[in-house]
Amino acid sequence: MNCDEARRLIGAEPYVTSRELAEHLQGCRACAEFQLEMVALEANIRRALEEPPVAARPHARRRAVVARSGWALAASILLAILATLAVWTLRPSNSLAREVVAHVIAEPQSWASKDAVSPRALEEILRKSGVILGATPYSVVYASSCWFRGHYVPHLVVRTSHSLVTVLILRNEKVDARQTFHEDGLAGAIVPAAQGSIAVLGEGSAQLDDVAEEMRVAVRGAAESP
Amino acid sequence: MRNSPPERTVSSVDLPPVERIAELRITRLFESMRPDLLRFALWLTRDRSIAEDVVQESLLRAWRSRDALKDPACSRAWLLTIVRREHARLYERKRLELVSLNDASEHEGSALLSQDDSEVQALRGAILRLPIEYREPLIMQVLGGFSVEEIACELSLSASAVLTRLFRARNKLRVLYGMTPAADASGSEESP
Repeated sequence: MNCDEARRLIGAEPYVTSRELAEHLQGCRACAEFQLEMVALEANIRRALEEPPVAARPHARRRAVVARSGWALAASILLAILATLAVWTLRPSNSLAREVVAHVIAEPQSWASKDAVSPRALEEILRKSGVILGATPYSVVYASSCWFRGHYVPHLVVRTSHSLVTVLILRNEKVDARQTFHEDGLAGAIVPAAQGSIAVLGEGSAQLDDVAEEMRVAVRGAAESP
Repeated sequence: MRNSPPERTVSSVDLPPVERIAELRITRLFESMRPDLLRFALWLTRDRSIAEDVVQESLLRAWRSRDALKDPACSRAWLLTIVRREHARLYERKRLELVSLNDASEHEGSALLSQDDSEVQALRGAILRLPIEYREPLIMQVLGGFSVEEIACELSLSASAVLTRLFRARNKLRVLYGMTPAADASGSEESP
């Protein structure tokens, strides 16, 4: 593989390193630096694209704007502010819980796993979200990096002594206090964590608190690692 | 033009409980993905109102074909694919009505760029200005999570052509950061 080919591959998939590319990078410092630059750029591209386009305005409305009196304009601005506040304050506080449940229901195969996920595979999935998981008393039988609310989050299923419990590590979802919910036959809780929150769900509420607490202690951001 | 046959006339309240629950679940599933779909559509269309139309039409299509969704775990990719195809259909129908690059960067672009640090702002502007042939695979890969092979299949291109487009897209964005663009030795793209 020559440098042009290596850079084409890095530019196309900055996070992917085939064996052939890895061999080239070992012997080519310039391409290795190029990859570092592209990985850094990629993080910014993700940030740029992930931001929800909340501020974009309807195209047609923009062109249909007509002259209004100052009072009418002020009143519309006030109404818009009030409407925004109303939407914000009336937003169901458990919408996060609902989305967590909807996400878990949409991944039914996660409950069918029986074998423990290999440490390497688990580490890879956690790394994608910048998370490190310390020791827990549970075996992880399912691990997936899932797109949730604009971010990749680790979706795990752990086996406790009694049952399977789903764990979503939500580094970008802050909650002020512990929330519990029951929906679609699932019991769950979302607890605050050092960064964001952790959601735990199971078919019964037994052990959910234990799992949540173990995970809260075991999860840390990659930047916090020693 | 021949009318299409009437769709299901059974309302959900007439359905047996199991089917009703299944329909409720799929409705919730689709709704939960609406923000993702809208963001994806907005980056493709660069116009809020067009993006909303694309998502609305896509969700209708998805609902009509919901029986084709065998594995709910694949629903996100399935819906994003429908959005992309709906956008492509619109693009073919209304090619000239889509906003110009300058309009996009001045209007929708400025809206997308609000409330953020300047570095990411500049990057968003640059992404918005990428020609659709580079922007589309980049968005599919980064936002949609599609693999190169999946993008190739969806865009009817070879994997090599997709790699080239992704490389060129990022190479153009490198310039923003004062980085030297990598030499583009890939020549013309390979045909499918």
